Amino acid sequence: MKNYVFIILALISLPFLTSSFTNSNFKEWPVPDKYKKMTNPVKSSAKTIADGKALWSKHCQSCHGKTGMGDGTKAAQLKTEPGDFTKSATQGQTDGSLFYKIMEGREDMPSFKKKIPDQDDIWSIVNFIRTLKK
Amino acid sequence: MKQSNKYLFLIRKSIGILVFALLCFNLAAQDQGSGIEPDMKAKPVKNTFEGNWVLDNQSVMVSTKGTLEMDIQHRFGVFNNGYKDIYGIMAPSNIRLGFSYVVINNLQLGFGLTKERLQWDLNGKLALVKQMTSGGWPISITYFGNIVIDSRSKENFVTGSDRISYFNQLIFARKFSDKISLQVSPSLSHFNNVPGYKDSDGNINNRLNNEHVAIAFMGKFQLKEGMNLLANYDQPLTTHPLSNPRPNLSLGIEFVTSGHSFQLLLGNYQAIVPQTNNLFNQNNYKDWDFCIGFNITRLWNL
Repeated sequence: MKNYVFIILALISLPFLTSSFTNSNFKEWPVPDKYKKMTNPVKSSAKTIADGKALWSKHCQSCHGKTGMGDGTKAAQLKTEPGDFTKSATQGQTDGSLFYKIMEGREDMPSFKKKIPDQDDIWSIVNFIRTLKK
Repeated sequence: MKQSNKYLFLIRKSIGILVFALLCFNLAAQDQGSGIEPDMKAKPVKNTFEGNWVLDNQSVMVSTKGTLEMDIQHRFGVFNNGYKDIYGIMAPSNIRLGFSYVVINNLQLGFGLTKERLQWDLNGKLALVKQMTSGGWPISITYFGNIVIDSRSKENFVTGSDRISYFNQLIFARKFSDKISLQVSPSLSHFNNVPGYKDSDGNINNRLNNEHVAIAFMGKFQLKEGMNLLANYDQPLTTHPLSNPRPNLSLGIEFVTSGHSFQLLLGNYQAIVPQTNNLFNQNNYKDWDFCIGFNITRLWNL
């Protein structure tokens, strides 16, 4: 009887435990309207995508992985989920939202506004991220 | 007088060779369609080299304002003793720990301490002109200089000023494509005090001149994103009364990430401090006097 009670309690508490875990990993990241509506001033071209790729390899790949699937060499050590950039959760965001998140960062994701001071370079990374869509 | 004319001749000759080489490479790069295509907006070319160091020399690069860099540099002993000292790895080594900070745009200031002779260096690097993506300067030019204080005990010196040496270098570089960058760096080293010897009449003479002119050539070849091959050659130009320094040949591989760079190298120079390398190197590449070494840098953007 005690075993049944334990199993029922465990089954009831499981969704709460997992939902709180999921929430801590996928916290909403609000983007100011100003950035959401921003249009990308750097035209997507072979040159700007290559520039973005070079910067991605240097600054982003170790966490987000070579193809943006969140499987970089440092990903396992992160407290926050790096996400899968091939999916609509990322690809559905505006260029301006991605630009804002790269610029500002939060938690494990560092701010790149000092490390990549030329904003056109960050827009080039956004152009490269668009090529990761599957 | 004759000696200074010789310096001038050598410097002119080196700069002439440099300009000729840059023009030739420039034309070749244009013919082959270099990776640096003209943009809508002309901007300074990025990543001619990927850090402050190209093996034994400074690169043309000055990081963005607010960048703090920590350097850990290590040179093991010479390679050619074989297993006796595990190819120099167990031999006496040299180490430099340094910091630099970009205080304003294009100006970096730094300091460091080197194990050999306990040399403290204070250094500055100023980007004078930058190669542009289109129009503007076809090359980047940077000045690097330092003052070094030998901080060993006073028994090693006659006067306090004997401890001091200086190094001045003009760095000319061009990024020809995303794959290839080249650099030429003429330099002038000055030591307030140099070693002497007694001749047969009992007179004390200098074994080396106080000034030394040299020129360094170096290049980067990108193997893939974040991984480069580096090569460096230093040629002494001054002829000294005795103990002429040897040229330096070094080759290395560089791994670069967002906040770190790691260079693993094989070269003749062991002193790390540039003027000490240029004036006192007796390791000869013809005799396989190579040292294994590494440069590690860590960057923070403050």
